[in-house]
Amino acid sequence: MKRIEQSPGLQAGVTQRDKTMGIRDNGLEVRLEAVQRRFGERIVIDNLTTRFAAGEFITVVGRSGCGKSTLLRLLAGLDAAQGGQLYADGRPLKEAIGDVRIMYQDARLLPWRSVVNNVALGLTGKRDIVRALALEALSQVGLADRADEWPENLSGGQRQRVALARALVHRPRLLLLDEPLGALDALTRIEMHRLIERIWREHRFTAVLVTHDVSEAVVLADRILLIEDGQVALDQMVELARPRARGDAAFAQLEGQVLDRLLTVRALEQRNQIRGRVSAIRADEVLAEVEVEITGQEGRRDKVVSTLTVRNLREHALEVGSEVLAIFKPNEVALALVDTTATANTEEHAVAQERAVA
Amino acid sequence: MRETTMPWRGIKALIQRRLSGRGTLPWLVPVLILMAWQITVQAGWLSTRILPAPWAVVTAGWGLLLSGELLEHLGASTARAASGFVIGGSIGFFFGLINGAYRLAENLFDTTLQMVRNVPHLALIPLVILWFGIGEEGKLFLVALGVFFPIYLNTFHGIRSVPPDLIEMGRSYGLRGWALFRQVILPGALPNILVGVRYALGFTWLTLIVAETISATSGIGYMAMNAREFLQTDVVVLAILLYAALGKAADMAARAMERRWLRWNKSFLAA
Repeated sequence: MKRIEQSPGLQAGVTQRDKTMGIRDNGLEVRLEAVQRRFGERIVIDNLTTRFAAGEFITVVGRSGCGKSTLLRLLAGLDAAQGGQLYADGRPLKEAIGDVRIMYQDARLLPWRSVVNNVALGLTGKRDIVRALALEALSQVGLADRADEWPENLSGGQRQRVALARALVHRPRLLLLDEPLGALDALTRIEMHRLIERIWREHRFTAVLVTHDVSEAVVLADRILLIEDGQVALDQMVELARPRARGDAAFAQLEGQVLDRLLTVRALEQRNQIRGRVSAIRADEVLAEVEVEITGQEGRRDKVVSTLTVRNLREHALEVGSEVLAIFKPNEVALALVDTTATANTEEHAVAQERAVA
Repeated sequence: MRETTMPWRGIKALIQRRLSGRGTLPWLVPVLILMAWQITVQAGWLSTRILPAPWAVVTAGWGLLLSGELLEHLGASTARAASGFVIGGSIGFFFGLINGAYRLAENLFDTTLQMVRNVPHLALIPLVILWFGIGEEGKLFLVALGVFFPIYLNTFHGIRSVPPDLIEMGRSYGLRGWALFRQVILPGALPNILVGVRYALGFTWLTLIVAETISATSGIGYMAMNAREFLQTDVVVLAILLYAALGKAADMAARAMERRWLRWNKSFLAA
């Protein structure tokens, strides 16, 4: 674990919360110890260690492909870790998997079952009792009146509410939310935030929400985890009072902070970067190829080519002979000027203003 | 001017309303054809040896119905169709299921089945007569074989086309084995399976027509071949129409199943 920017007093904050509130006993306490997951050569979750307090609302943010969804699938038991351990309440997470429910990006309702029967999925017992339970869960999400309709007749937001009811009916102690609001319009999202927050307060489960929307993360989270290259890059407590107002100054500041961190190129890892000198620049009207001569270990000389847009090239004083840092990312080579304040990057323009690496 | 056009418009609207109703208009052309047919035969322009008048077919049918012969043959054919369909359908369904669900089964059986599928099952008739004679077994065998492939292929495809997302969701909600199959996989595959059933029903009657015409001692095909020897064209035409009606009935049954089980699926409701 390199450079985890832990907010000061993280441990204290959590334990204090547990003590003062004392009601968070329904949620599972989850610990991840040196968890690793690879897909072939690619390490998606890299030695990840963290702890989710019982009843805590955690949001996980990160760029696409950073491993946040994989983390959730590991927690859901849909995927197995190749190294490390996952614990729930001190026992292996596997044993508690019946207390874990997941909400997906799409509602995944069975189209051949009525709304109420979708909610009842996986419940066993007498028919009328099962139905009553399902109806109760439906009324919690405000959809009891649509119980006997086909899922096809519901809007996207309503379908996600049904999916939420389907998860709630099992009284989960750990609820995993895999970008469940990604496909909804802005207004419906805000409604869903309120609904999820209300239900989380009532049920007191531990919640882990994966999202790429930082403002969503700030609205809902007790704690924001920023995942980058399979590791925790930022672990930020959110101490704002609930319900949170988006217009609030403290809210905006925190949102900006997380967003800034999210946009930073992580060129900080020594093992993925090599110093070099630009040896050639070939450009057409749109794209430019920058050839960098690098000196690797054992003094072996080599050349790498980074592709960026011409506009990006012009913005940074990049010319033949410039000292640069070549940063190797899974699918590209990013360049950072040494001793100036610019980073050039092939895909991520937003990255360009980031602090230089020295 | 006005006074004269108004009633004319009223009559026109009336006719349009009468004819444009979906109930009556589609039947207009068949009725006209039947009438033309009846007239040509009655006027002697068309020999009854070639084609009997529609009315003659009706009376022949009525006569056979009264003598009990018609029901006997109809029963024999229907029994054959049903048992052949059940036998071939269940075997096809079984292989579709296991090959769809298990890679091992697919690797083991699918290539063989695909090779056999390329043999037109009606080409086996001479061989089937050698094996089974002209008894019931041969006809059952042919019908079952004809039914097997549409059911097999569509079941297999249906199982495979169940969205993996839904299966994963079912698993994460605690469904395993039979529960997962009954609640997620089978309903997901059902639209395809029912398409297979419709095809199979078509094949059932087609196979039966050929098999009964070649070798039989009862059934509609036998009735038709018998009538041919005595130049009873009306009975021959009756038999042909009966096959058509039975095929239509089977198709309607399949549609009813679709309406019953695929209520949730808008695209099927529209069809």
